[in-house]
Parts: sequence; C-alpha cells; structure tokens
Amino acid sequence: MTFPATPRNVIVVAGVMSLLLVLTVLVSLTMGAVHLPLAEVWTALVSPGTHSEAAVIVRGIRLPRILLAIFVGAALSVAGTGLQALLRNPLADPYVLGISSGAAVGAIFALWIGGRVAAASPLAAFVGAVITMVWVYLLGRHGGRLSSYTLILAGVITASFLSAIILFMLTLLSTRDVRGIAFWLMGDLSVTPVAELRILGPAIILAIAGLYVFAKDLNVLLLGAEEAAHLGVNVARVEVGVYILASLLTGIAVSASGAIGYLGLLVPHLGRMLVGNDHRMLLPTAALGGAILLVLSDTLARTAVAPAELPVGAVTAVAGAPVFIYLLRKTAG
Amino acid sequence: MRDTLRACAGLAFFMVTYEMHSAQVSSRPFGVNPGGGATVLLCVLAATLSILLPPAVSARTVKDQTGRSVNVPDNPHRLVSLAPNITEIVYALGLGDELVGDTDYCDFPPQAKNKPHIGTMVNPSLERIVALKADLALGTPEANRRETADQLERLGIPLYGVTASTLAGTLASIDDLGKILGRASEARSLVAEMQARIDRVEKRIEGQPKPKVLFVVWYRPLITVGPRTFIADVIRAAGGTPIGENLKGEWPRLTLEELLPQNPDVILLPKTESFSPSMEEFQSLPGWKDLRAVKERRMFFVSETVMRPGPRLVDALEELAGVLHPTVALKTGERQ
Repeated sequence: MTFPATPRNVIVVAGVMSLLLVLTVLVSLTMGAVHLPLAEVWTALVSPGTHSEAAVIVRGIRLPRILLAIFVGAALSVAGTGLQALLRNPLADPYVLGISSGAAVGAIFALWIGGRVAAASPLAAFVGAVITMVWVYLLGRHGGRLSSYTLILAGVITASFLSAIILFMLTLLSTRDVRGIAFWLMGDLSVTPVAELRILGPAIILAIAGLYVFAKDLNVLLLGAEEAAHLGVNVARVEVGVYILASLLTGIAVSASGAIGYLGLLVPHLGRMLVGNDHRMLLPTAALGGAILLVLSDTLARTAVAPAELPVGAVTAVAGAPVFIYLLRKTAG
Repeated sequence: MRDTLRACAGLAFFMVTYEMHSAQVSSRPFGVNPGGGATVLLCVLAATLSILLPPAVSARTVKDQTGRSVNVPDNPHRLVSLAPNITEIVYALGLGDELVGDTDYCDFPPQAKNKPHIGTMVNPSLERIVALKADLALGTPEANRRETADQLERLGIPLYGVTASTLAGTLASIDDLGKILGRASEARSLVAEMQARIDRVEKRIEGQPKPKVLFVVWYRPLITVGPRTFIADVIRAAGGTPIGENLKGEWPRLTLEELLPQNPDVILLPKTESFSPSMEEFQSLPGWKDLRAVKERRMFFVSETVMRPGPRLVDALEELAGVLHPTVALKTGERQ
C-alpha cells in the first residue's frame, strides 16, 4: 500500500492515526488494576473540580502515564525511522547504536556517586546519551562523512562495552538501589515524572518537527549518499541534523522511561508496510503508530498481572521479537 | 504545601475581584490592566494546583527512619502495608482492622492473606492504593523503591518508612510504628517482651562455645548474609558466629575459596517455597563434602521467619538457639 505523499494524503493519514490514538487513550484510561465504570472515568476527565478516588486515579495516575507513553513511543519510533533512513540499514535503531546504553550508564553513575536527587538521574541519563552519541559519531565517521557500516559497528561495540560497565556498577551498588535500577533498565513507565513531563513533551515534539524538516532529503538519501549529493542535497548537513535529533529523542525517552526495546526497530518497518517509503508520510505515521503501540503495551503491562505490574520493556520485547521475525521472513520471501 | 496553595488561590481570587472592582471604579476597560491579566493567570494556576492536590487533613510533619519528611495524619485509620514484616507489626499492634491493603506476599497472620492486595513490594499498583482510600502507607527501604514513595507523595498519600536492617533496628521500628500509629504503649510492651526473650536466650547460652555458622541465602552462586544484617544479628544472639565478618553489603557472594578456610561448624538453610533443595544436593556441591558442617551432618533447614524482620524474629531466634545449642536452649514457644 503506497499513497503519494501529497499534503492532502499526509493530513488524512495523520488524522486517521490521531483518531486511532485518541481511541486507544480512551480505552487505556478505562483499564487498570482498579475497575472504574466508563461513566466515572468520563466524569473524572471532564470535571476538574472533583477529587474523588476515581479522579485521582484517572487524572493523577493513568493520564500522566499515558501521556508519557505517547511521548516516549513517538520519540523512539521517529528516532528509529530517521536512523534507518540515514544509515540505509533496516537494523539501525537507538539501541543498536548504543545511545540508550550510554543513557543507562549516566543514570546509574548518578546513583553510584551517591547524589539521590530526583532530577539527577534523568539529567545524567541525558548527558550519558549525548556523550555516547558524540563518541559513536566520531568513531563512525570515515573520510569526513558518516559511514553506515562503521557507525553501526561502532554503536554495537560501544553498546556491549557500556553493558559491561553497567554490570560492573550494579555489582558495586547496594541491593536497595539495584532494585530500582533493574526496573528502569527493563523499561518502565510506572514512575511518571509529572513535573518533568512539561519539559519532556514539548522537547520531543520540537525534535520530531525538526526531523520532519529533513523528510524530503531523507527520501533522496535512500538512493545513496553520492546520488543525493548529485541531486543537490547537502548530505553532511542532513546526516548531522538527523543524527543529533534522533539521539536527542532517544536521550529524552530513555532518561524518562529506561530502556524500552524493539519500538525503534519495529515501528518504522510497520510504518513502511502501511504507507510506503516516503518520509513525509512515514514520519508522522511512525510517531503516531509508536505512540499507539506503546500506550497499548503499557496498558497490558499495567493489567496483565494486576495488581502487580510488569515493566513495559518486557511487554514490548515479548511482543516485538516475534513480530519482527515474522516481518523479516515475509519481506525476505 | 496544600494550605499554601489554597491560600495563594484565595489571595489571587481576592486580588482579581479587587482589581475588577477598581477597574469598574476607574472605568478602565477590563482586560487592559496588565496586572489583572497576570493575577487571573496566577489565580487559575493556583486554583488548578489546589484542585489537583487532595484536601488537607490534620497532620503533622515528621522525619521517618529513612530521613524523609512525611505528613503523617494525626489519626491514621486506613493503613496500607508495603512489606510483609510491616504487615506483621501492624497486626501485632492490634491494628489488623485498620489495615485496608497489603502486598501479594503478606501471608502472616493468615488473615493478612485475605486483605485486598496492592501488588508486589517493588512495583505496587498506585491506583489500588488510591482506591483503598489509604491515609497512610507504611514501607521500608529494604523492600520498596524510593520512586514508589515519591509517586505516592505526589498523589497525596504519605508513606512512612521504617528501617529494620538489624535486630535492634527491628525492635526500634516496632516502637517507632507504635508511636506513629497511636499505639505507643502496645508497641512498648511488645518490644519489652521481645527483649525479655532475647535476654533469656542470651542467659541460657552463656558460656557455651560459639559455632561458626554459614547462612545460605542462595547456593548457586553461594550467597550469604553480610555482618550488618538482622539475620547475622539473630545468629549472634542465638550463640553463633556468622562467617564472613569482613564481607561487604547485605547479601554478599561467597566463593569456595573464601568458604573453605572459614570451615563452618553449622550450615543453616532457610526453607521457603521457592528454595527447597534436598540435603543431598548440598552435600554433592563441589568442595562441600570436606566442610566440617557437612562431615558432621550439622546442616539444618530453619523456618523462613528468620528472613522477616518483624515481631516473629524472636521466634526465629529461639529456633536458631535450639539448633545451635540443642542441649541448653529453650524450644520455640516454651515459656518459663
């Protein structure tokens, strides 16, 4: 299925996906460890004056968590889409490139040096992501330009090196801290940074909008870097821009929710099957589709073993791996 | 905090009405006054914030044992326990009826199993806790995450934390919870009774040799207890010497190399549902058959009460004393 990416089609697809997202959010709002009738959820949502238990649950717990899932889902999916186009490699995603491992090292390091300030961990995670991103970029550059294979290899080796560092730090941390970190490493949305959401949300939207500016260039880049350069694309500028924005999106997402795997890998593939390869159409589809998928996954994580909760990273991994294998076999055959 | 916001909202509302009034008096067109716009914004902001926060109840701010400032209500009567040992303490203080929820792992006393469950210690369901209308949650950093405390605080449910990482700390946490929950005298007498039983064991085993004890938390890899834990305390109080005095952390790993020269006289294994290997399995572990405790067949399963720093920790103490000093110690439950 491929539609030409006319402005009208883009708006129609984005509109339909947004509608689906709204529906998903509404369904997710009614689900949880506590059974709330639809009417009560609605009342809690539309009348901000009340502070019944239902209102606290819907507005204080479920809604912020769903919002976080939307932002993180969109961020990881768009980052994955951008990186896959940039590197012309369907395996590229923020995790393969080691950026999320860098964020994890940052967060654990913040715990390790002892300062348990609420904001320190996400901030350190972000710094870790940025440092890793610069490091992998410098490693992956070849003759002044990004080389796809070198970059991916640099990312993979950096990721495994950082994983070793994480294990080393975990053995030195007290059991008390490891418990929290272990959950965070698996990818977890149960700790919603409500205050930080006001900064994370707009930052993610801005970064996605920034990436969309490169949509046309990414289409041309799919033909190959040299061809794109012949066609008048400033390849170096696109590479640096997309790389920085994708890393930014990953850093923000990982700092808020830990390592949620497979989303950045899977959603771009699903998106291409749905709307084709034109990034003007693919990027909004991936953003909204990623948001929908993560909201659904987290709803499952909240309800599958209620009142206990699963880390959402476990849900995305369990669901993501088989889907990915299926897609792989289908496109190969 | 809530009160401050409420006061802000009130003040802002007053200022807006006042400015609207003065605007009318000075016949200035409404909306041109820039200060008015700012106050309206402030008013809306403060009002929204005060609505988002739950209503204030009479409370006092205290520092809990973990060092957090907690707004504890004066008469908490809807308690949620976030750890099995705390559930036991709440029941022992006669507050079983006030407990409205506990964790999936709270199994003692048996009626604790029938309370509404809020999930696991590490990742409880916040919305369950809210739906139970809890006015005070009780937790411990040994079992819960700090993030849970932060989230509950945001939702207006105070979490009071106690630390029970040593034997003395366990007694202190019971005493502390008694004070917070308005059962200070009950807590005092419970602690006094526990202390009397500890003293009685101490008197009984006086002058006895102190066997070297290996406590096995897990065996593949071998994990034992650190010297500064309540389990090590209980072993010492029961007249044993826990091996690994120089180990670091709460649940350190022990290699065979470190274990062999220490050569424990007694090996203790807590019996739990998830941990019930056979004695033969241990004896067949590489290197173990040369240990004195294995050769002399002084390996014992003990009840898992010893892993729970609550009122029954003295039961575990008497049980351990009986295992380590079978000739002189009282049997569990035996009274003088």
